[in-house]
Amino acid sequence: MTSGRAGTGPAGWRQVAPAIVVVTLVTGTGLVAVLATSLGLMPLFGKAELGTQGYQAGASDLLLSTRETLGIATSSTLLAALAGLLVATALIGTSRGSSLAAAVSAGVVTVPHLIGAASVSLLLADSGVASRLLGVEGRSWPELVGGAWPVATVLELAWKESAFVALVVVASVSKRHRDLREVAAVLGAGPWHRWSRVFLPAATPALAAASLIVFTYTVGAYEVPRLLGRSYPEPLPVMAFRLFGSIDLASRPQAAATAMVAASIALVVGFLALAAAAGARRHQRRDRRRDRRRDRRTVPIGAGAR
Amino acid sequence: MSALTVTRSVRRNAPSALVLVWMLAPLVPILVWGFAARWSAPAVLPQDWGLVGWRQALDSGMYAALARSAVLGLVVAAIATPVGAMAGRALGWREVSYPVLIGLVLLAPVVLPPFAVSMGLDVLLLRLGIPETLAVVMVLVAFAIPYTAYTMRASYQSVDPEVEEQARVLGATPRQARTRASLPAVRSGLVAAFALAFLVGWSDYAVTLLVGGGRLITMPVLIGATASGTGREPALAALSLAAVIPPVVALGIVLRFARRRPSPVSIQPEVSP
Repeated sequence: MTSGRAGTGPAGWRQVAPAIVVVTLVTGTGLVAVLATSLGLMPLFGKAELGTQGYQAGASDLLLSTRETLGIATSSTLLAALAGLLVATALIGTSRGSSLAAAVSAGVVTVPHLIGAASVSLLLADSGVASRLLGVEGRSWPELVGGAWPVATVLELAWKESAFVALVVVASVSKRHRDLREVAAVLGAGPWHRWSRVFLPAATPALAAASLIVFTYTVGAYEVPRLLGRSYPEPLPVMAFRLFGSIDLASRPQAAATAMVAASIALVVGFLALAAAAGARRHQRRDRRRDRRRDRRTVPIGAGAR
Repeated sequence: MSALTVTRSVRRNAPSALVLVWMLAPLVPILVWGFAARWSAPAVLPQDWGLVGWRQALDSGMYAALARSAVLGLVVAAIATPVGAMAGRALGWREVSYPVLIGLVLLAPVVLPPFAVSMGLDVLLLRLGIPETLAVVMVLVAFAIPYTAYTMRASYQSVDPEVEEQARVLGATPRQARTRASLPAVRSGLVAAFALAFLVGWSDYAVTLLVGGGRLITMPVLIGATASGTGREPALAALSLAAVIPPVVALGIVLRFARRRPSPVSIQPEVSP
C-alpha cells in the first residue's frame, strides 16, 4: 500500500467489486432470464423456441393491464408528491409539534406496504371502519376497495409514499433553507412568498427525483393492488403473478412478457429520474459558481460574521 | 395563559396535527381490530374487547414466522452492510475511477421491480438446484445494497479521509487505522445502513413468495395468506401489529444514534500540521 489515501486504483476496485458483482449477478441474470422466458427460450419443459407468443397470446389483456398500471402509478405519484410537499412544509416548521410529526412520518416509511394495504382494507371496505364512523351503511358506501376505480390502491400508495417524499425533501432542503427564510423575512416576504419563492424552488429538485422513484416503485408494486384492487383488469404485477402461478405451463412466457413490460416502464422512468437528478446537480453547481463570482465582486458586508 | 397565546399555539401546531392525522389515520383499523373480540357493523366501537386475534395469530404460527423474518432481516443486513460500506467508502472518498457509472449500476435494484427479477431467476435457480432460502437471501441482499452503499457513501463523504492518514502517522497499522479511526467516525451511518437493509428483508413479500416458492413462511407471507381469508380481521390486525413493532423499535435506535454528538475523529482538525 502506497499511502493512506489510496487515490484511484485496484484497492478501490476491490472495495466496490462485491457490491457490483452481487447487484449485476442478481438483476442482470434475472432480467435476461425473464426476457428469454418471455421469448420462449426458457421453457420449464420441452424445446426452446424463439417467438413472441408470450406477448401476443394475451395482447389485449396486456394492453389493458398496462393502462391500469400507468393510471395507478400516475395518480398515486401525483398525490404522493402533493401530499409529501405539504407534509414537508409542516415538518420544516419550528413548532414543537413538527419534530413529533417528523418522527411519525419516518415511522410510516418503515411500515411495510402489505400491512398498510391490510389496514386500509379494514378502513375503506364495505362496513369498514370509515363507513362505520361516517354512519354510511351497505350499498350507499362507495366501492373504494375492489371497485371500478382503484381508489383504495391509489390512496394507500399515496399515503405511504408521501412520507417518503416528505423525508427526502426535508433532508435536501433544511440546511440552507433556514438562513434563506430568515433573509426573506427580513426583506419583508410574507408566509406565502416565503413558501412559493424560497421553499418551493429549493424543494423542487428533490421533489422531482423522489416522485420519479415513487413512480417506478408503484409500477412494480404487487401486494397493494392485490389486496385492494379489483380482479379485472388488473395491474401488470398482479397479472404477472396470476399467470406465473397458473397450472398451465404455457402461461409462463405470458407472465414473463407481462413482467418485461413493467420492468421496461420502470427502467425508462428510472433513466429519466437519473437524467433529471444529474441536470439538477449541474444547475446547482452553476448557481453556486455564479454566487461565488458575485460574492467576489461585492463588498463582503457580513464577512467574518460566522 | 391568555386566549391569544392559546390560539397562537393552536395555529402554530395545526400543520403538525394535520400531518399526524394523515400519517396515523390509515393505521387506526389495525390498532382497534387487534384488540376487538366482537365488532359487527355498524357499531362505531367493538362490542367486546379481547385478545381473540392474538390467539388466532399464535395458532397460525406467528412466533415461527416472526423468528424467520427476524433471521432473514438480520442475515440480509449482516451481508449487505459490509458490502455496501466498502462500496460507499470507495465512492465517498473517490478511491475508484468511474464513480458515476458504478453509482448507476448500484441503483439498478431501486429501479427494477423485484417481482420481475425474481420471476426470471426462479427457473434458473430451479435448474441450478440452489436452495430456496439461500436464493431469497441473495436476491434480497442485492435489493438492499443500494440503500447501504448510498447511506455509507454519504457517511464517508462527511468524514475527512485524512483521519486514517493521521492514525498511520501516529503509528497505527492500516487495519488499526480503519477499525480505530475511520469506522468509528461512520458509526451512525453503519447503524442506519444496517437498519435499512434489515427492513428490506423484514418487509419483503414478492421475492419471498416467488423465489421461496411459498415454503418460506415469513411474517409478510403469513399476513398475505391471512388477508385473503374472510372474517379474519382480528387475526390480520394482530399479525400486522406484531410486524410493525420491530421496525419502529429499529427506527428508534437509529434516531437515537443519529442524534448523538459526532465522535471526536469526525470533527475536522482546525490546525494543520
